[in-house]
Amino acid sequence: MIKITPSELTLVSQYIHSISGIYLDKSKTYLFETRLSSVAESHGCSSFQELYNKAKREPAKKIEKDIVDAITTNETLFFRDKGPFELLQHKILPEVIDARSNLSALKPKVKIWSAASSTGQELYSIAIVIKELLRDNKDYSFTLLGTDISDAAIAQASYGKYNRFEIERGLDKRNLQKYFTLFGDSWKIKDEIRAMVNFKKLNLMQPFTALGKFDIIFCRNVAIYFTLDDRKKLFTKLANSLTDDGYLIIGSTESLTGVCPLFVPKRHLRSIFYQKK
Amino acid sequence: MKTLSILVVDDDPVLRLLLEKRLQKVGHTIEIAADGYIAKELLEKKRYDVVLTDLMMPGEIGGIEVLEIVKEKDKTIDVVLITAHSSVDTAVQAMKKGASDYLEKPINFDELFLRLDKIANVQTMYRSAMDLRLALNRTEGEAAQTIQMLELLNNKLQQCIDDVEGELLAVDPPAEDKIITALTILGAT
Repeated sequence: MIKITPSELTLVSQYIHSISGIYLDKSKTYLFETRLSSVAESHGCSSFQELYNKAKREPAKKIEKDIVDAITTNETLFFRDKGPFELLQHKILPEVIDARSNLSALKPKVKIWSAASSTGQELYSIAIVIKELLRDNKDYSFTLLGTDISDAAIAQASYGKYNRFEIERGLDKRNLQKYFTLFGDSWKIKDEIRAMVNFKKLNLMQPFTALGKFDIIFCRNVAIYFTLDDRKKLFTKLANSLTDDGYLIIGSTESLTGVCPLFVPKRHLRSIFYQKK
Repeated sequence: MKTLSILVVDDDPVLRLLLEKRLQKVGHTIEIAADGYIAKELLEKKRYDVVLTDLMMPGEIGGIEVLEIVKEKDKTIDVVLITAHSSVDTAVQAMKKGASDYLEKPINFDELFLRLDKIANVQTMYRSAMDLRLALNRTEGEAAQTIQMLELLNNKLQQCIDDVEGELLAVDPPAEDKIITALTILGAT
């Protein structure tokens, strides 16, 4: 493993912030070393300074992509903490469907966004909840979008194949058998769920008004890697991307206090969701 | 190195005995089944770390069926198949159904021990990963409850402050009335 010097840490930290919005301070020295050493070595660099120089010079941005992939790829699970999905099933989806049904005689549309979809578990879990709730009801149309900054994460999400570490906790046996196919030591999501979702690359630091407005936004456990200033900007933009009666769900240990006054926290059972004031 | 509890399923009495002796010698706990039916009964009663089964056995329950019974019961149990050279294709099919590995006959014991070591390592890592995840979930769950409670409380207090501020800045009522209303709002919170 390559050791990082204090000056390299400052340099690489600023660089990562500029390309991804992720802010890693000195306390995360281990992350630079454990995750970026192999990136450096695979590009023939023996120090982080060298990796930085090479990444800045390279027009194809392959190194930049590898760095983003290495830093952002985190373990996510299907139905990671059950709260948000129970909230979705018992409170949010019924309310959204109800509100949209009263709105027009046309086929009501519901748009859901997993803003940091990582390798897809969250969005597929959402799709499974919808499938379980509505069966094959064709009266509503759902758009399920997952975005992430990492190309590698998007590729894995799109492929929908997971090893047993990633899958067997969280998913119960019934849903596992029903919505996945066993492939050796891995499980692959079935086409009926895969067809409900779309994934695309997006850096949350960039503008995203082009995505339109969503009824439900999941933005869990990503803003924790941002500076307070970037967090404020992100949640203000998310408020603009949410319909007036839309729902925002953040990570269970996250808070919007002092971050975004546009949202009010509301409680249902053991979970919290946010709506615009 | 973690020792494993292994169920050996083979209809060949010589190979069965040989496997039992050699595996016991390196510290593993062995139980044997002479065919798929006995294996099925044993699997219903007990959990093993590894099932080492012959692929071709007489009767309706061959190696593939043993594999299916195991995986239906508990996906974390590793299944290793013993195959004749001619049935390698079937063994590959079995890998797709979740078998961890296969060995060709005649069994090379060094190879078998190496594969079992690998399985033991993976099972140990899997177990510690699960322990860590459990601890993480519990810690995260408790932190979440505290944070959410504070988030709601903070929101309520902010609302109260806004109401008091609005009341005190109001133009019309006399100062004493404004103070009384403000105090009522504060008292109700």
